[in-house]
Amino acid sequence: MVTLTINGKLVRAREGEMLLDAIRREGIEIPATCQHEAVEPYGACRLCTVEITKADWGGWKNHVTSCLYPVQEGLIVSTHSEDVIRIRKTILDLFLARCPNAELIQNMAAEYGITRTSYEEVPDGNDCILCGLCTRVCDKMGFQAISTVGRGHGKEVAPPLGEAPPDCVGCLACAQICPTNYIKFTDDGTTRTIWGREFELVKCETTGQPTITKEFAAYLVKHRNIPEDYFTRCDSAHREELAKTMGRITHWGRQEEA
Amino acid sequence: MNYRFVVKPELCIGCRTCELACSFAHSVNGKPGRSRIYPLGTGHKELWVPVVCLQCEDPACARSCLVDAITRNPETGAMDLDAERCVRCMACVAACPFGCSLHDANHQMVVKCDLCGGDPVCAHFCPTKALVLEPIVQQKKKKSA
Repeated sequence: MVTLTINGKLVRAREGEMLLDAIRREGIEIPATCQHEAVEPYGACRLCTVEITKADWGGWKNHVTSCLYPVQEGLIVSTHSEDVIRIRKTILDLFLARCPNAELIQNMAAEYGITRTSYEEVPDGNDCILCGLCTRVCDKMGFQAISTVGRGHGKEVAPPLGEAPPDCVGCLACAQICPTNYIKFTDDGTTRTIWGREFELVKCETTGQPTITKEFAAYLVKHRNIPEDYFTRCDSAHREELAKTMGRITHWGRQEEA
Repeated sequence: MNYRFVVKPELCIGCRTCELACSFAHSVNGKPGRSRIYPLGTGHKELWVPVVCLQCEDPACARSCLVDAITRNPETGAMDLDAERCVRCMACVAACPFGCSLHDANHQMVVKCDLCGGDPVCAHFCPTKALVLEPIVQQKKKKSA
């Protein structure tokens, strides 16, 4: 365990833990859009920047992304100092120039008193803040279907060569965790379309309810050792079946029938 | 783990009090959440079964989770779903052969029974004691000859 100071309060934290976790545990709200428990911290959005110093640094201080900075003994952290607020405002201002229509960014910027960007809006701007959360989650799940392509102002998240990604299984995890809801998909109950690729959904044998895509089910059967027939029914049909089985066991050997 | 959660279908009267208790116990921001327990008819007269997660020994939900969001809680013995870690790919919902990993569409999250951290609320409300928390009596094992 290490002891550090966060906003003037002495806090104990586990060794190797990141600053952001310690800050959040203290109930202090700081924005962080590219952070997700499922993946390693990445430090893309820079919004979780905090000010750090130590008693023996002779007045020197540093600004670090708290999601990537491990806790240290004797660290003095301020999450809302004047400099930090200024940095966060600049970042949000830049985000707003790139993604003027993203609701999350608008709300975050409004919290810091920015309603319009002071920069020039990107003419072909979209809602993607390039936090890379989708690509990291896709990698973590083992598909690696999408990645960031291009550099500088041309950087974007896309499947290889801009074509329908062959490794995608249509699990929708990228769209679900996208902080700004930039990743779009369609799902009409029979087919699902994402990243320009169409997927057929598995339908429940009993109720006809769609569950996951055939490709995703096949992946789980092959790599996660799940019996294939688990996917033939939807969750409510599974429950009905369980109830019927339990009823049969309870009435084992009895004659009465309802 | 000194207690275990026991479901006794022969005592269930299908009053669905457990369902209500569950959904209130797992409310999100004051709004009732999706119940994790379903008292269902069995096709036999006056026989109901409260269908709830069986906390399997080798659960399909945990095996299908590609981000390891479902793990065994060593204190309660329950398979806990870490909502912060979940990426809502619905693999566990499709994979559970008992249909006890659920999608809460209202709150955009996947939910499952977590035994309420070791003290299931449904067991407190069950009027017929079909759901009970029973202490595990440690029996001395005879050494096989």
